[in-house]
Amino acid sequence: MSSYLRSDRRKARRRLLIATVIVVALFALDILSGGFFRGIARTASMIVWSAGSRIESAVFGSGYFSSRRSLQTENDALKQKIIEFEVETAEIETLKNENAELREVVHLAESTGGITAPIVSSVRSSPYGTFMVGAGTAEGISAGSMVMAGGGRSFVIGRITEAGEHSSLVKEVFAPGVSAEGELRGAVLLFEGQGGGNARAKAPRTLSVAEGDSVTSALFGGRLIGVVGAVSSDSGSAYQSVYVRTPVNLSKLQFVYVVPNR
Amino acid sequence: MLYRIANNARPLLAALGFLGAVLLPPWVPLLVMVLLAFRFAAWEIPAIGLFVDLIWLAPSGEGLLASLPLFTLAGLALMWGLEPLRSEFLTR
Repeated sequence: MSSYLRSDRRKARRRLLIATVIVVALFALDILSGGFFRGIARTASMIVWSAGSRIESAVFGSGYFSSRRSLQTENDALKQKIIEFEVETAEIETLKNENAELREVVHLAESTGGITAPIVSSVRSSPYGTFMVGAGTAEGISAGSMVMAGGGRSFVIGRITEAGEHSSLVKEVFAPGVSAEGELRGAVLLFEGQGGGNARAKAPRTLSVAEGDSVTSALFGGRLIGVVGAVSSDSGSAYQSVYVRTPVNLSKLQFVYVVPNR
Repeated sequence: MLYRIANNARPLLAALGFLGAVLLPPWVPLLVMVLLAFRFAAWEIPAIGLFVDLIWLAPSGEGLLASLPLFTLAGLALMWGLEPLRSEFLTR
């Protein structure tokens, strides 16, 4: 090997080493400073996302893609209608259960005071099941506040994990790698988040589960966190797999309802 | 010609990686990091990973997997892990 190549590679490795040190230092400084670099990165991402959204609406609103776009819009509207029906069904079922359980559960959604906050980031870009909302500590929001959506703002879709002054990071209930305890038909199950508002749980075969059944969670004050989308079972297994999803399309949401901690 | 295209791809891929971190599904910046790592000894690889983690990682996630800066670690692993391959097969 020529000395020129050797020296070139040595230089390249030195550059990589410097890059590694800088990346590690930035990460450490961010933690030590309580999120200084996070704040900068998130502000930049919100600006880029809002510019991207404006460009998207300008392009699709121009009429250039109108025929395809109109079909897509109609399709989305119909899907949304189905989702709304599912939400209503799930809500009715939950109300029935509540009445049956000695009418002890307090009415939740009506009694909670919260604020409506816009979603200010993409909800599909995060590998960690997070997204940003445009409300923060200045609006009375703190870490742990519940984030809700759906008809009657009755579905919990996540929790605030980090609150800035005017923006906050929300972690979805069914974020990838996160497990949430939920109640389905009276049985408490562990739902493993799969991302995109989906989760999976193993339930005993003896438990009668059907599509559209609602899942509530004591972790979220007994509120709804999802509906059963599919059930699959193997005749040789003692368990059945229950697939649960958030009944609102997160990527279509523009606003959420945040209930501050009391 | 191909050599020039490949070299010009670096800033384009890096831009796609940074934009993808904000606007596109997470597999896009990951794919960009992999592509960059195959061809270049690029500081942009861990930088994109760090950018993804700074934006999206919740500081006190539930569970070990949820609290690890996976994209930063993936960026560093790709940058260093493919260095022997690059130095073996690529010339400048």
